[in-house]
Amino acid sequence: MQTTQFDAIVIGSGITGGWAAKELTEKGLKVLVLERGKELHHGIDYTGEHAPDWKLPYQGKRPRDLYEKDYFVQSKSYAFSEANRHMFNNDRENPYISNPDKPFRWVRADVVGGRSLLWGRQSYRWSEQDFEANRVDGHGIPWPIGYKDVAPWYSYVEKFIGVSGQAEGWPELPDSEFLPPMGYHALEKTIKERLAKKAPDIKMTMGRTAVLTQDHNGRAACHYCGPCHRGCSTGSYFSSQSSTLPAATATGNLTLKANAVVDKLVYDPDLKRVVSVEVIDSQTRERSSYSARIFFVCASTLGSSQVLLNSTSASFPNGLANSSGAVGRYLMDHVSTIGGLGIFLDNMDSYYHGNRPNNIYIPRFRNLPGQEDDTDFVRGYGYQGVPIRADWSMNLNSKGFGADYKNTMRKPGYWMFALAAFGECLPQKSNRAFLDRNKLDRFGIPQVSIEFEWSDNELAIVRDFSKQGDRFMKAAGAVYSLDLASDDPEAEVIGGGAVHEMGTARMGDDPTQSVLNAHNQAHDVPNLFVSDGSCMTSSSCVNPSLTYMALTARACDYAVNQLAAGQI
Amino acid sequence: MNRRHFLECAALLIGGVSASRMGWTLTEEQRVHLANAPDYIDQALDYFTPEQRSVVAAIAETIIPRTDTPGAIDAGVPRFIELMLADWCNDQERDIFEQGLLQLDQHTGAEYGKRFDELDQQTQLEILESLEEEASNSAWYQTGNIRRDFISDAPFICQLKEFTVWGFFTSEEGGTQVLRYDPRPMYFDGDIPLKPDDSSWSFRAI
Repeated sequence: MQTTQFDAIVIGSGITGGWAAKELTEKGLKVLVLERGKELHHGIDYTGEHAPDWKLPYQGKRPRDLYEKDYFVQSKSYAFSEANRHMFNNDRENPYISNPDKPFRWVRADVVGGRSLLWGRQSYRWSEQDFEANRVDGHGIPWPIGYKDVAPWYSYVEKFIGVSGQAEGWPELPDSEFLPPMGYHALEKTIKERLAKKAPDIKMTMGRTAVLTQDHNGRAACHYCGPCHRGCSTGSYFSSQSSTLPAATATGNLTLKANAVVDKLVYDPDLKRVVSVEVIDSQTRERSSYSARIFFVCASTLGSSQVLLNSTSASFPNGLANSSGAVGRYLMDHVSTIGGLGIFLDNMDSYYHGNRPNNIYIPRFRNLPGQEDDTDFVRGYGYQGVPIRADWSMNLNSKGFGADYKNTMRKPGYWMFALAAFGECLPQKSNRAFLDRNKLDRFGIPQVSIEFEWSDNELAIVRDFSKQGDRFMKAAGAVYSLDLASDDPEAEVIGGGAVHEMGTARMGDDPTQSVLNAHNQAHDVPNLFVSDGSCMTSSSCVNPSLTYMALTARACDYAVNQLAAGQI
Repeated sequence: MNRRHFLECAALLIGGVSASRMGWTLTEEQRVHLANAPDYIDQALDYFTPEQRSVVAAIAETIIPRTDTPGAIDAGVPRFIELMLADWCNDQERDIFEQGLLQLDQHTGAEYGKRFDELDQQTQLEILESLEEEASNSAWYQTGNIRRDFISDAPFICQLKEFTVWGFFTSEEGGTQVLRYDPRPMYFDGDIPLKPDDSSWSFRAI
C-alpha cells in the first residue's frame, strides 16, 4: 500500500462534511477536512448574535446597493441580514450561471460549518413510502435502500444532534428519538382542535427541530432568542460548529483547512482509485495537493457536482465517477411557496413569552395509501405553519399621526397564520448542473451552469397548495383567508428557493443509471464516497438534512469496514 | 446550562487544530460584535442644514410625540432620518425628500410667515394630515404592503412616516421603553395573558 498523508479527506465542513469528519476521526482515521469558506470560530464569530435593532446598520433596513452588487442571490434568503452576512457567499466573487427566465437560486455559505449554520433545522425522517416512491410510480430509478436500512442510522444521528418533537406513530412521518417537544401557541391549539373536527385528514404536530429543549451532550437548552441563523454561542441548535467538528477535534485526528478551494480530484488509472485532491488557497492562490486512502465529497449538491465534473481524466473524460452520465443530472429542489395565509380573531388576549425557533408541521396528507385518489399529481407535500402577531412593522403604512397613532402602533394587532408548503420534486434528466468551460471563476475553475425547470407534476402540486391551504384556513376558523390561487404558479416558485437542492449523483443499483451504490460509494471508483444531498434518488417532501446526516454516518461505517477488510 | 462543557468545546475548536489552520480571516469590521457596537445613530453626519434639521425633528415628533413614554426626538429619530437620507437613499428618493422639504418651507412661509417647526402643534398636525390626504393614492398605503422593499417613488410624507416609525421602534428608547425588550427569554410559553395596555415585543427575529 502507498503511503498517504491522510487516511481520509472530506471535502466540505457543512452538515454532512462535519458528520463525515466526526465518524471517520472517531473510528481512528486521520482526516483532513477541506472547506472553501473562511475560518469561523464557534461563538466568537457569531458577531450578530443578540444584537438589537438599534445596533444594526440602518437599524435593520437592508443596504440595497450592497446587496444588489454583491449579494444578489444570497440576499433573497429569509435568513440573510446584516447580522450574519459574513457567513454567506459573495455572489459577485463566486458567480454561477442560470437562465434569467428560469433562474435557479443557489444559496451558499462561505465559512467553516457551511449551511449547517444557516439551515432551518427542521428534522424529519423519510417514510417507507418515500423510499418506495420511485419504484411504485416509475418516476426516476428505484432507491437501492429502504427505510429499514436507514432507520438505525436516523436513531444514531438523532441521539447525537438532539431533535425535539412529539412522537405520533404516523406511518407517513416516522417518529425520531425525541427530546421533549416545544410548546404550542394558544392559537395553534385552537386551530389543531378545529382541524381534528372539520378536516381530520390534515394532522398537525409540533415541528421536529434540531434545537435543544433540554441540555444535551454538553450543549445548552435553547434560550429562545429567536434567529438561530445568526449563530448560537450556546450551541443550542445543531451545526457542524457546535457539534460534529468539536467531536472530531477532540479525537486528535482532525486537520481542518479553511480557504481551501478544491479544484479537482486526481484519479490513478493503474490503481483505479482517487489518489489525491488539488486545492487552491482562496486567499493566497497557492496550490497544494493532499493524498489519502478514501475521499468523502460533501461539498453540497452543486458544489460536489462541480468537483466531480471538473475532475476529468483519460479514464473519466466526462467527470469523475461519471460513466453513467448522471453526475450533475436529476437535480431536484422542493417546490415551495406560501400555501395559505389566514387572519384570526381567536386568542386575541393570548400572547407569548420567548421566540420559538420552530413551526408546527402538517405531514403529507395527499396521495396516502388507502385514500381516495382525487389528485392530478403523484407524491405529495407538507406544510410548515407559523402564527404571526401583527406588530408595528406590518402596520406602519397606515394613516394617522400623534399619540393615538403611536399607541396603536405599539400594540399587537390581529393574529395571522401562514403555511409554507414544501412539495416533492420528481427527478428529471434535463434538470442539471454542468460546467461552462468558457467561463472560469477567479480560481480558474469552470463555473457551474444550471438548467432547471419544474415539471407539470410540481406545478399541479403548487395549485393544490393553495386549494388545500384555503380548506385548511376555513376549517381552522380564519375570519379571512387570502386567495392565493394563481393562474401562473410557475412564476411563483423558483428552483433552489427551498434550499433543498439534491440528486446530482444519485444512488442506485444500476451503474449505468446511477453514480453511487447503496453505501454512497461511487460505482466507478471504490474509494470515493458522496454523501451530501447529491446522493438522493428522489426528494420526498420532508426537509432532507436529517437523511443526509444518517446516510453519511452509514456510509462512513461502511467505508471504514471496507478499509479494514482491505476492500478499498 | 452546561457552561463549562460549552467553553471546553469552544476552546478545543479554536486551539486544538491551530497548527493546521489559518488564523483569523474575518476582517476587523466583521469581527466587531454588533451587540457591543455603538448605536447606529451614534455617528458623525452633516447632511441637513440646521434649519432642515429643526423642521425634520418637528415633523418626526408630530408623527410620534413624547407622551408618558419617549417620543421621536427622545429616540434620536431625526438623526436616523438624516442618516438614511445621507447614506441609504438613492438619488430619486433624495430628490423627492428635498423637494418635499422645499415645498413645505415655501408653503409655511407663504401661508404663515414661519418655518414648520415654528408653528403651533395643531397647525403642524393639520399640514401633515393634508399632505397624507394628497398622497392617499400612493402604493405605499396599500393594505398588505408590509415587510416589503422601500417604495422609491413614495411621496415625501410617506418617506417621513416610514423612516420615523421604523427609526422609532427600532431605536433603543422605542424598543425598550415603548415596546417590550427581552433578548434572552430563556423559555417559551405560547399562552401568556395579553392585557389591554401591553405593547408588542420589540424583537424582529430576522
